[in-house]
Amino acid sequence: MTFHLGYGTNGFANHRLDDALAVIADLGYTAVALTLDHHHLDPFADDIGARTERLAARLSALGLRVVVETGARYLLDPLRKHHPTLVSEDQEVRVDFLLRAKRIAADLGAECVSFWSGVGPSDSWEHLKSGVAAVLTGGPAVPLALEPEPGMVVERLDQALRLREELGNPELLGITLDVGHCVAVEWQDAAACLREAGGLLMNVQLDDMVPGVHEHLEFGEGQLDLPDTLAALTDIGYTGVAAVELPRHSHAAPLVAKRAFEALRTASWLAMAEQALRADPASIHTVFPAVGRAVRFGVREARTRLLVAYADTSQDVAEGLAALYRHGTSAERLGVLRGLAEIGGRVPETGVELVKDALRSNETGLVAAAMGAFAAHHLDQHAWRHGVLKCLFMSIPLTVVSDLDRRTDDELLRMVSAFADERRAAGRRVPADALELLGKAS
Amino acid sequence: MRIFDPHIHMTSRTTDDYEAMHAAGVRALVEPAFWLGQPRTNVGSFLDYFDGLVGWERFRAAQFGIAHHCAIALNPKEANDPRCTGVLEHLSHYLVKDGVVAVGEVGYDSMTPEEDDAFARQLELAARHDLPVLVHTPHRDKQQGTLRTLDVVRESGIPPERVLVDHLNETTVRAVADSGCWMGFSIYPDTKMDEARMVALLAEYGTGRVLVNSAADWGRSDPLKTRSTGLAMLEAGFDESEVDTVLWSNPVEFYGQSGRLLLDPVTSLATDTVTGNSVLRGERR
Repeated sequence: MTFHLGYGTNGFANHRLDDALAVIADLGYTAVALTLDHHHLDPFADDIGARTERLAARLSALGLRVVVETGARYLLDPLRKHHPTLVSEDQEVRVDFLLRAKRIAADLGAECVSFWSGVGPSDSWEHLKSGVAAVLTGGPAVPLALEPEPGMVVERLDQALRLREELGNPELLGITLDVGHCVAVEWQDAAACLREAGGLLMNVQLDDMVPGVHEHLEFGEGQLDLPDTLAALTDIGYTGVAAVELPRHSHAAPLVAKRAFEALRTASWLAMAEQALRADPASIHTVFPAVGRAVRFGVREARTRLLVAYADTSQDVAEGLAALYRHGTSAERLGVLRGLAEIGGRVPETGVELVKDALRSNETGLVAAAMGAFAAHHLDQHAWRHGVLKCLFMSIPLTVVSDLDRRTDDELLRMVSAFADERRAAGRRVPADALELLGKAS
Repeated sequence: MRIFDPHIHMTSRTTDDYEAMHAAGVRALVEPAFWLGQPRTNVGSFLDYFDGLVGWERFRAAQFGIAHHCAIALNPKEANDPRCTGVLEHLSHYLVKDGVVAVGEVGYDSMTPEEDDAFARQLELAARHDLPVLVHTPHRDKQQGTLRTLDVVRESGIPPERVLVDHLNETTVRAVADSGCWMGFSIYPDTKMDEARMVALLAEYGTGRVLVNSAADWGRSDPLKTRSTGLAMLEAGFDESEVDTVLWSNPVEFYGQSGRLLLDPVTSLATDTVTGNSVLRGERR
């Protein structure tokens, strides 16, 4: 990873700033996105100079890099959120604030000041440009990063790039990208947006979203491909701050920040593993066994993802997959069996061999995983029936069997009925799943 | 009394043993790869065995609430059979896996050049995979074998705190204590060590870097010897925390150097989609 993972202090709104920084640093983050606000380094405080100096020392002691964010909700107007903006009539209030932010950023040694345009009519473009120009020319020479924000005059990357171009491509004007916003409103995915921004990228905000909805979500709750996103940042050689942006999660900030860090660590490991697979498919034999240690959440998805990447690059998927299974731990075998739903169709003969091997085993987890979607489509009827019966025999719930209703036939019902008779004759309980299956048929 | 048996060959034991071990307080163990009593004749025989150690045996242990880990190696005895040494080429494949917490058992049986070679190559593998090493000391000519073992370890450059030298007794413990390696003792019904002699050594050498195991296998042995040693310690005046040091904390510290010990409740292993099991036979309880 060439860049620095951080967390936004607007996600710690219920913490004292000093405490928030300690929690963030303790979790392993090496940067912070500091949203200037009433209670977090108030830029209008009389002793702002002294406060800034103290904070700079604190950041340095904790080893945290910093970017300055200017999206506080009620800092300039107690009634109207985010007001005034660079597209408001009283633009000068916002310009004055941004100049204060630049001075603070200079004193903190921050990488940049991030800002957005504002909500307004489309004909406010020229007004916006004059405001940005005023911020650029005033105050110390601190990089400014314009963030496209859904619903604002500049809401997509192409608009931000056009505005920069119309201002004559000023060196100190760059781009902030919120990768969640990319999912919500961009035409292309976050990784593609990051690549397009390329060398102009000065600041990154990390969060998840679903298309069309501007709501900051924790990783995994939306549709962001986090490993791809982090890989794109590495690819373009980004060296700045990429900070988690979850401003509506302050009520549980320490836990949310911990989960986010685990998700980021997992995703960056996955990105690295996928890169290794592209360079040498044989590395599957070292990365696949390591998943259990490297991935804290989403182990199942991670294994499937690596298998897909392997299948995309390897010349001999069948043999590789068989080796992973045959010499795998139970967890690795489970991973291969589950992965068959995704990639088994490319090597159906091998897939069926592995499923049959699993069905011969006495490990409940393997038997259960073997009866998934791949078996539903590829396993012959005789073997499939015996798989279902084995589930009943081993007390595995039949919910693990994909397409149970579609594939159930008279012969299976005969077998299950005989199994029930045998259990009754022995005075043993007949599994409820068996009775249900027989009941459905009658 | 919570017990971590740092050396036991569960592949050769029954589910009755697992039940009795759990009842006695065993919650974790390490099963080092060894020979099977009947000599192997080909590499494939090793691979099936290793696959069982990282798969089926862990699953079986989990059914009884015991966290199973293993150590992987070509054992000293079979290092002398050219039909078997090809397995050295396959070890790296296993040394990257979850649950594999050491290279072992390596060391000497008859102190042949072939054993020298396998021992040295496997110490290299341990260094490359950042794993601790479990060293078996020979049954015959034990003192000489132990001294030679310590020489080889020293020359390998592997830090002594990452090496456990096992099957020690009154005649070999001093040299290992002085070397900085961990000291392993196998408590057997008749041979190797017994509880009373073990307690005497603990009184003399202290509890630091000392591990006690049952080394139970297919021969006459007893998987509950860890517990009986703990009881003998208490009887001799050791307190509970000293017993815990020997029977739990020390093995955790030694094998923990692998970064791969998982001591959480293990019942979910390999059964996370279902709660049934196939070793207890019969309906779910």
